Amino acid sequence: MSGELATWLGAATPNGSPAWLEAWRTSARERATALGVPGSKQEAWRYTNPRRLFEQAFDEGAAVLAAEALAPLLVEGLEADRVVLVNGRYAPEHGRLGALPEGVRIDSLARLLAEDPEAVRPHLGALADDPAALFPALNAAGGADGLVVLLAPGARLERPLELLHVTTGERPTLAQPRHLIVLGEGAEARLVERYVGAEPSIAHATNAVLEIDLAAEARLDHERIQHDSAESFHLSTLYLHQQARSRYQGLNIGLGGRWARTDINTRFAGPGAECVLHGLYLSGDGQLIDYHLDVDHAVPDCTSVELFKGILYGQGRAVFDGRVFVAQDAQRTDAAMSNRNLMLSERAEIDTKPQLEINADDVKCSHGTTVGQIDPQMLFYLRARGIPEASARRMLCLGFAEEIIGRLGDEALRAEIAALVGDRLEAAPLD
Amino acid sequence: MTSTPAVEDIVGSEYEHGFTTEIESDTLPPGLDEDVVRAISARKGEPEFMTEWRLKAYRHWLTMTPPNWADVDHPPIDFQAISYYSAPKRPEDGPKSLDEVDPALLETYEKLGIPIEEQKALAGVAVDAVFDSVSVATTFRETLAEAGVIFCSISEAVHAYPELVKQYLGSVVPHTDNYFACLNAAVFSDGTFVYIPEGVRCPMELSTYFRINARNTGQFERTLIVAEAGSYVSYLEGCTAPQRDENQLHAAVVELIALDDAEIKYSTVQNWYPGDAQGRGGIYNFVTKRGDCRGARSKISWTQVETGSAITWKYPSCLLRGEDAVGEFYSVAVTKGRQQADTGTKMIHIGPNTRSTIVSKGISAGEGRQTYRGLVRIGQRAANARNHTQCDSLLIGDRCTANTVPYIEVKHPSANMEHEATTSKISDDQLFYCRARGLSEEDAVSMIVNGFCKEVFNELPMEFAVEAQKLLSISLEGAVG
Repeated sequence: MSGELATWLGAATPNGSPAWLEAWRTSARERATALGVPGSKQEAWRYTNPRRLFEQAFDEGAAVLAAEALAPLLVEGLEADRVVLVNGRYAPEHGRLGALPEGVRIDSLARLLAEDPEAVRPHLGALADDPAALFPALNAAGGADGLVVLLAPGARLERPLELLHVTTGERPTLAQPRHLIVLGEGAEARLVERYVGAEPSIAHATNAVLEIDLAAEARLDHERIQHDSAESFHLSTLYLHQQARSRYQGLNIGLGGRWARTDINTRFAGPGAECVLHGLYLSGDGQLIDYHLDVDHAVPDCTSVELFKGILYGQGRAVFDGRVFVAQDAQRTDAAMSNRNLMLSERAEIDTKPQLEINADDVKCSHGTTVGQIDPQMLFYLRARGIPEASARRMLCLGFAEEIIGRLGDEALRAEIAALVGDRLEAAPLD
Repeated sequence: MTSTPAVEDIVGSEYEHGFTTEIESDTLPPGLDEDVVRAISARKGEPEFMTEWRLKAYRHWLTMTPPNWADVDHPPIDFQAISYYSAPKRPEDGPKSLDEVDPALLETYEKLGIPIEEQKALAGVAVDAVFDSVSVATTFRETLAEAGVIFCSISEAVHAYPELVKQYLGSVVPHTDNYFACLNAAVFSDGTFVYIPEGVRCPMELSTYFRINARNTGQFERTLIVAEAGSYVSYLEGCTAPQRDENQLHAAVVELIALDDAEIKYSTVQNWYPGDAQGRGGIYNFVTKRGDCRGARSKISWTQVETGSAITWKYPSCLLRGEDAVGEFYSVAVTKGRQQADTGTKMIHIGPNTRSTIVSKGISAGEGRQTYRGLVRIGQRAANARNHTQCDSLLIGDRCTANTVPYIEVKHPSANMEHEATTSKISDDQLFYCRARGLSEEDAVSMIVNGFCKEVFNELPMEFAVEAQKLLSISLEGAVG
């Protein structure tokens, strides 16, 4: 079993690492080896077979990207500070960071581990604690770098921070970045996280882990755009921990990858916190887009909203597996989960499983799912006004997506995503 | 509310002991092996094909492991400690008089308005004079025979209609289906066989009550209903009155087959013993129910009111194979005390233009645990399939649990499916409104809960619906306050 995991488990910790780091990596390595490759009998993997991922050989890949290769990957007009990671490694030469305000630290995980390990020690692996999760364990064992954002209480990022992750190389590479985002009491930030591939035809793999810790009254707007190259594998696991009255607003756009799986685990640790998760995914030929949400209302008086919308065409497949858990005594919980899918082709498939687990009685919880197609009446309306059928269908699909795209934080990003979705629909066989 | 005679009939309709006087004393010792399976088959005088069928199931069962995915807790079941064949109990084994019966049970009978003689029958008290069920039943049998409807025990059917049994038994729930269905196939004691010939509308609602030779088939019961083209039947199973039963494990199998334009309506009221306040001794109700809409425009409708048993594990399902076939599932499940229920349905859309409706109402009180687990699958050929699912949970008390686990798998773009689920408690506003109009707290709760369940009760045959409402009120007594 460990043979197929070897690339993922990575090399041993470099000499001179602190003992706690070594111990942490070793235990992750052992856990991953013991877990092995999951099969479809495991509930979390019911609709996805990751075996293919492990049959492929990956290089570690160099953290090198030519400046001219970066330019086309940028979003025009996006007003943001920028941090770039290439194949999972921090690439400061591509970054663009202005003077950071007091109490803000933005740095490479590898550098901090080497130079100031105590700064990250309390946060590294603190939230990614699911003993049954294979990919976070692989990331812990094999990953070496990532982004660290530490905001002291009351600190505020003036401009949004863009985290751009690029996979590149002539041979398939494996990137395992780990990002730590820690906001002190009342701190505020906006993070735009983008995953892109430099070469469309190479099956790179990304296995990212994010640990986000929001102290009381902290506020994070988080936009995540997964636009990896068409052949690639994208995995990302987000662990979110929210203290009292903190607010997290997450927006997930899933466009790229042959197989893209995103796990989002959120846990409320103090009352009055709010978590909003929106999502839009497009799954076309041979793609599998896979979202798993686990929202844990461990304490009373918290609010969560999840709305994910999907468009499926060609032989696209999508999985939506959402779970809202309300602990005993988590009274006055307000949770609403919704998953809506637009299915455009005979060979597409959607598997959706919105679960509620409720152990308290004074709660307001609901979930809804729909799967449908374009309303023929709407289509007729547009056709009657002289719009060709294919264009009319595209318009309606874009309208369906607009509810999510419109929530993106700025105009440049909205235009970029609307164009990407438009292009994809343009190429889709919408008949 | 006074019970109508029809209600009384139904109330007395289950597998109570001491109902007939011809008692064979014949029980196999606990344990299960091939000889036991052969012995069961031999005792029932079954033809060779049935013995082989049972043995095949038994051999397969040995290769299986009990399912563990349901959200229920119970100690492992010792299958070697169960006696797999016992002829009806002797009357003297039961309590000698109503004085020996649990007073709580008697109180419930009182509230349901069950006559004293029937109370005795239900509680398993030996009675010598049984009210005139035999003659009633005989009259019914004559009417059915005129219509050409076959309504008898499975054992009888094996002898009288071997071809039909061979053709249909196990064709919807094969022995390989799941652990408990497989066990049932190997050791089933008896059950009901219904056959509605082509074009016949069954002249009355069928209930096991009218099948006078069916006694003590409770533990591993098997029901097979075949509706030929253009026929209709409504079948009632169960009883609103709580019943005493010696068998802790119930693993029944129900198979329904509807051919072209046929319709089967299957209603269940389940109120087995839920165990004491700590949940000890209650019934494990592990049932496999599946309907096969084989014909075009066929329809199968499941309605269930589940209030009893310590553990319920049950997913009445529909295979919608024929074009334009319709599947329905209406369910009210109540868990209170330490009861656990993991129940729901599967709607498998295979044919084009198939439609299904799921309405599930779960009420969880005390320390009850309840899970709705359902699957809606729309296959690649199921053009224009339609599903609407609604699962609502009502929580009473802060120590209960309500889970919703729907699986939705869609492989056709013309599918239209909607799933909605809500969880709520009885709001103080609603209660206050009722209280301000002079209703007692208990009446108010009962009214609100009945309103919550109305969509499902509307699907029950009239007499059942009245009883079910009463049953619900009684079940939830003392849950709020």
